[in-house]
Amino acid sequence: MAQTQPQSAATQAATDLLAPGGVLQRRAARLSVLAALLWPLQAGVVALALGALLTGAAASPLLAALAFAGLGLLRAGLGLLAEARAQAAAEAVIAAARARIVAAEARRAEDSPFGGAGSIAALAGEKLDLLAPYVTRYAPAMARVRVVPLVILALAFWHSWAVGVVLLISGPLIPVFMALIGLAAKEASARQMAEIGTLNDFLVERLSALVDIRLLGAGAAVQEGFAAQAGDLRARTMAVLRVAFLSSTVLELFAAIGVAMVAVYVGFSLLGALSFGAWGGAISPEAGIFLLLLAPEFYQPLRDLSAAWHDKAAATAVIEEVEVWAADPGLQLPGTGGTAMRLEGPASVALLGCQTPAGLALPDIRIAAGERVALVGASGTGKTSALRLMAGLELPVAGQVVVAGQGLTAGNADGWRARLGWMPQAPHFLSGSLRQNLTLGRDGDLGAALATAAVGEVVAAMPQGLATRLGETGGGLSGGEARRITLARAVHGAPDLILADEPTADLDAATARIVTEGLLAQAARGVTLIVATHDRQLAARMDRIIEIGGAQ
Amino acid sequence: MTALWTVFAVILRDQRSALLRGAALSLVVLVMGVALLGLSGWFITAAAAAGLAGAGAVFDVFRPSAMVRFLALGRAAARYGERVLTHDATLRALESLRLRVLAAHLAAPHGAMIRIRGAQALNRLTADIDALDGVPLRLVLPLIAGALAQILALAALWLLVAPGVALWVVGGYVLGAALIFGRMAVVAVPLSRRAETAAQAFRSRLIDLIRARRDLAVYGQLAAQAGAAMEAEARRFALRRRLDRAERWTGAALAALASLVAAGALGIGMTLVQAGLFEPAFAALGFFAALALAETLMPLRRAAADLGRMADAARRVARDLAPQAAPPAGEVPQGTSLCVADATLHRPGSRLPVLSGLSLTVAAGETVAITGASGSGKSTLLLAVAGLHPLAAGQISLGGLAVADWPEASLRGVLTLLPQRSTLMEGTVAEALRLAIDAGDAQLWQVLAAVQLDGVIHAKGGLSARIGPRGEGVSGGEARRLALARALLRRPQVLLLDEPTEGLDDATAALVLRGIRAELPGAAIVIAAHRQVETAAADRVLELR
Repeated sequence: MAQTQPQSAATQAATDLLAPGGVLQRRAARLSVLAALLWPLQAGVVALALGALLTGAAASPLLAALAFAGLGLLRAGLGLLAEARAQAAAEAVIAAARARIVAAEARRAEDSPFGGAGSIAALAGEKLDLLAPYVTRYAPAMARVRVVPLVILALAFWHSWAVGVVLLISGPLIPVFMALIGLAAKEASARQMAEIGTLNDFLVERLSALVDIRLLGAGAAVQEGFAAQAGDLRARTMAVLRVAFLSSTVLELFAAIGVAMVAVYVGFSLLGALSFGAWGGAISPEAGIFLLLLAPEFYQPLRDLSAAWHDKAAATAVIEEVEVWAADPGLQLPGTGGTAMRLEGPASVALLGCQTPAGLALPDIRIAAGERVALVGASGTGKTSALRLMAGLELPVAGQVVVAGQGLTAGNADGWRARLGWMPQAPHFLSGSLRQNLTLGRDGDLGAALATAAVGEVVAAMPQGLATRLGETGGGLSGGEARRITLARAVHGAPDLILADEPTADLDAATARIVTEGLLAQAARGVTLIVATHDRQLAARMDRIIEIGGAQ
Repeated sequence: MTALWTVFAVILRDQRSALLRGAALSLVVLVMGVALLGLSGWFITAAAAAGLAGAGAVFDVFRPSAMVRFLALGRAAARYGERVLTHDATLRALESLRLRVLAAHLAAPHGAMIRIRGAQALNRLTADIDALDGVPLRLVLPLIAGALAQILALAALWLLVAPGVALWVVGGYVLGAALIFGRMAVVAVPLSRRAETAAQAFRSRLIDLIRARRDLAVYGQLAAQAGAAMEAEARRFALRRRLDRAERWTGAALAALASLVAAGALGIGMTLVQAGLFEPAFAALGFFAALALAETLMPLRRAAADLGRMADAARRVARDLAPQAAPPAGEVPQGTSLCVADATLHRPGSRLPVLSGLSLTVAAGETVAITGASGSGKSTLLLAVAGLHPLAAGQISLGGLAVADWPEASLRGVLTLLPQRSTLMEGTVAEALRLAIDAGDAQLWQVLAAVQLDGVIHAKGGLSARIGPRGEGVSGGEARRLALARALLRRPQVLLLDEPTEGLDDATAALVLRGIRAELPGAAIVIAAHRQVETAAADRVLELR
């Protein structure tokens, strides 16, 4: 039982992920089979037309051409419908998975053990896109393999048992080779993906160290090294690919031998050199041409499937990754993280017998409205965790957080957070303008907030002032400037309580002073101020210092 | 489109023979495929005619059937060769593009170097290059091989069957394919670009949601951010649907074209036979060849589908591949006294001065510390001295020659800057150090000792200890000192240090600073200092305001 569980769980994950496209995907498969089955009719038209030419019977060229073209257009039309269904199925699958990832990430209280923001964005973005070829190519090809060769085999036996036998013998050998090729191709494509990944990793490493390489005058040497590594990778990849190509060549060879044997047998029969193989004497010219046209189509679905094999391998890899991502839903954020009415009551907060989700036991802390409090203690003793509990970003596993005179719950967390100002230790700026980063959708007097943080001149010096776009790299803000922007952001919403995590760490004395004064000016306005800090000067300016983890 | 051609021209220049070999074998495969089906059709029909006429005994069956076997087996073999050669060419293209991009970025201005360092910019760049790997093999070569196969088919059908059949088949395929492909290109390129923009917006909004989730939650913006990400996704979804529709119509149009051309070949052939112009076998040859030529259309669909993405990626990457101005190759100056005269510097990307009217002279063997609040221009000054930041006014000269006029290689030979942030690449400690200069082990240990790192490296397993990607597994203070040791290996005459002891405790910092001076007794050293231990090590302190 325990051994089969991972297998069935993986299958279940694949079924769940692909479920939104289920009905459409089955319709696409049926239409694609139907389109493929029109070929024998087209072949019949050609066989009858050429047969009539040989026997001199009356045949209208226009009618033959129209019939062949008409059936061909019908086949193209059915193919179009099949593909529309398949593409819609793929989009439904991908859109559902993407929505699921965004919704789940917006409910988490902490980062996923799956990986950083970049890995999750890659999974939700380009990796999910890899499910599309599986749904649009591999699944219809699989449906055709199950039906089309059998129909053609039956048609071949109907006209000539010898041709039927040729197909029957070469046909079943192909799945055997398919399995071998599938294994080889899967391995080869995995290896190739890994190798290309490695080459990209090499490039990324070097691009992130560009400045160092230039300053060390190592440009030429680095390029030479990269070229050598890339050449080496190519040689190794080609060795793997040659094996994979050899196996698929074997598949083509069998198909080619099968078609050539049919052609030679039909040719000799028509000449009268062979008198066996057909039912009741020699084969007719029409039947011969018909069989020759059918033979390649007997192998075609198998070749389509083998061409789409790596689509399946890629999709399987993505499904496995989604499963790993989904395995640990993690700690959930209390509330929705949306806007809410401010919670009524005093701007006070208390931690009573709290144990953090990480397992740290915190001392009881009671902070009254308007108090200025420093939380101090060695790294790792729970200062940041205490701030997160107070902000309602996490709920304690034991004990209670009391805010504004009532117990903090998922129900009132949004309302409590609407009253807070928050200064994280390492801010991440959103890709958007400086103004958007400061206001975060809240109304208020931005000029006053900028003045409190003494950040007006920083804004003035930015290339486009408040309209300057910030991004991943902070748009050229220094560490101290970024901290002051975070202070302005915290002050902007006229909060009743400010929580600041190490607001003066890594700052020069002048900037630290600006930040400290800014925070104290808010306290003078009656705001409750709670800072977690190592900075003794900052702590000394507070009403009260609470030692966390000091007893140990 | 021009950008796509630029990218292809770059790959072609680097990998001409690999591409030509691949193209030649692609053509062989196509020609053998057409010949095989055409010959088989002719053979069966001719054999049937001979059988009906009772002339079966005199019909030469052996040469055609041997040809059929040869073509069948030969095609399979040629296909193997084609796959190997074209994949080899793809891998070479991959290699070539990455090498070019690396070379271009190594010669880029400092601002561009900093911008490319972010994880998102890097992801974008690698995704673009991945999209371009297919330019030769999925776009250009199939088009060329297909066109050549059509031309050969025109000649063969003209001579063997009839000019009418040849013109119908080849004319129909070439004109039809050009119309369909052109139409798809017009529709797909702008749609792809917009879809890509929407996908990037989704990506960066999701990244923001994850990185800033606590900030967003406190400010009540988490749900809105998720909504913004899904809004970008809805935009991408709508565009993707339109692209999908264009793509499947292209596929259907190509399939319909093949049916129409083959049907016409059948009708024309039958008419000509009934008019007594040639044998039925040749009508079969024309029809079967027309059927087989449909294979030249197969790659068009994939090419048309990828065209938009490729064109979009090429637009960005081609900018990077533009030829760089060659550095001035003036004569190498003598002497290295550093002189800054009345210098004014602007903030990166801004016209506002960060520092103005600064003058400073540093003699050999002297240590100067520069202090000032964050944002006062310490780092910008060091970058300008190292030739990485433009001067707005004034002059910075080294050995009497303006820094901007120094040849790059000569400048790096005498001057080294330890930037505020340096990146260690994956590899061993020895490899990280030898990026500076190919030095012996003893020399490496000597600089490690100078920065108080010899004990740490011994404990980690010596010079062959591994450093993970982007310096993983090395603490901040250790990484700082490794970068310092690397700078010392260059034995510069001018050493610029931007907050060199960040992440070190006071005692270690003092020892490291003393070690640097002992290692380079004659060098002019300028330190952008932010702590007391750094200013204490200097002969002179200059405060920026």
